Amino acid sequence: MDSYEWGKGSVRRQVRLLPPLAVLLLSAILMILPRPAQEGISRAIRGSVLAPFLGIQESLQRFRLQASETGELQVKLDAAEALIHSQSALAEENRRLRELLALRDRSTATYVPASLLRAGTLGSESMFLLDAGRRDGVMVNVPVTTAAGLIGVTREVGPRRALAMDWTHPDFRASAMTEDGSVFGIVESRGGGMPDAARLMLNGVPFRTEVADGTPVVTSGRGAIYPRGIPIGHVVGLAEIEAGWRRSYWIEPVAHPGSAMHVLVLTGEDTEGEESTGPGDAPALAGTGSTGTADPAGPPAPSAADTTSPVAPPAADTTAPVAPPSPPGEAAPSPAEVP
Amino acid sequence: MTGGAAFWGVAVFLALLHFALRVGFGVGEWSPDLLAVGLLVAALRLPVAMAAGLGLAFGVIEDALSILSFGANAMALTIVGILGSWSREFFVGGSVVFLVSYFTIGVWFRGVLHWFISGRSVGEETVRLLLLDMPLAALYGAGVGTLLLVLAGLLGDSGYGEGNGNAVRLGRGA
Repeated sequence: MDSYEWGKGSVRRQVRLLPPLAVLLLSAILMILPRPAQEGISRAIRGSVLAPFLGIQESLQRFRLQASETGELQVKLDAAEALIHSQSALAEENRRLRELLALRDRSTATYVPASLLRAGTLGSESMFLLDAGRRDGVMVNVPVTTAAGLIGVTREVGPRRALAMDWTHPDFRASAMTEDGSVFGIVESRGGGMPDAARLMLNGVPFRTEVADGTPVVTSGRGAIYPRGIPIGHVVGLAEIEAGWRRSYWIEPVAHPGSAMHVLVLTGEDTEGEESTGPGDAPALAGTGSTGTADPAGPPAPSAADTTSPVAPPAADTTAPVAPPSPPGEAAPSPAEVP
Repeated sequence: MTGGAAFWGVAVFLALLHFALRVGFGVGEWSPDLLAVGLLVAALRLPVAMAAGLGLAFGVIEDALSILSFGANAMALTIVGILGSWSREFFVGGSVVFLVSYFTIGVWFRGVLHWFISGRSVGEETVRLLLLDMPLAALYGAGVGTLLLVLAGLLGDSGYGEGNGNAVRLGRGA
């Protein structure tokens, strides 16, 4: 090939490079688009191109739930009924004590049940879809729980579906405390972004505070996302020590996103029948189609007083009542004492 | 361009199968990365710009299911589409071995690109993932893609070496 032909070919090649480079530039622009624009594109694609595929998984999930869990659901229903009966006396006692102390009524929070769908595509690790959306009252940044405990938080919400990330995601953080309320810290995911290797770590524990193995860890209600008292896991060992500064502990999670099929999503506070509520007031839980009580301090951050009153974990089941937290200023009872 | 429609058919079929298996039936990692294989099949025939555009389209659809790394799949598949189509300029081949190699490298490269573009942290597991898990998954996808090309009767019609006369002949050749 002589130099003239080589030069001609080179120019032609440069011209031919322009369109693919333009497409490449477009893909780069997609990455730096503002979040609302990205969400809009995602939502449009999920609602059109991917809708049939998501519909198939929703149908399959419903079928699996109906086919395989009837016996298990009956057992859970029986356990929930037993729990309701055993706690009715506590509820009455709690009501009378509240009246004596002139405490405000609890606000109530509603949960909506949803099926968990896995996309299984590259980049969707640690994420899952819910077959409940804005029409069901689901909002962005609300906790997603199973009967066992916390599994994640919603990140995008569409009319019929929501996208959420589970605790294996590297960006997952939750304000946490030991169940007795004596130690506070931040629970975060560790595992280098690989869900298979993901573990939870309780970080930021004061250096002089030791936490025994097996200690239950629940959400503390600090911050604006997770209500107080949702079980996260159990301490299984010391992870790190920064001399004179802080300790970190490994947490064995109680809820495993990989095996979850049916979840509960906090949909907000229900003020019906409520006298008044404060930010740290303990809400009750009312599930869609089934009710119970739980502890969501909800989106508003709890007051300082609230942080001293540990509470029982929320929903043990969609049908099971769960103990709500204590209101501000109330002494810190053990979780079992709070109906 | 012989078999052009068939190549398109296989590429679109693979993309649909990818979403049907992974999203519809929730098969997850058990299903190979047929989206990348489909793009690579299409890149055997398409001009560079169109392969890039198809990669972008496939990637955006997959990105709709990931929040925090939106655009990573789009960029990774765009690059794979460009390189896949461009590689015709440099290599000639149509044998099973060649296609398996082409698909394996393409799918693996897509995974590596996505890993780095999405800004994953590099840890102890990264090397194992990039050099063991991803190549094995790529080989799996390549096997399925090649099998489909064989079944579609497109094995000797890959279009490789159409770019120019300087392409390096690999394998048995088309």
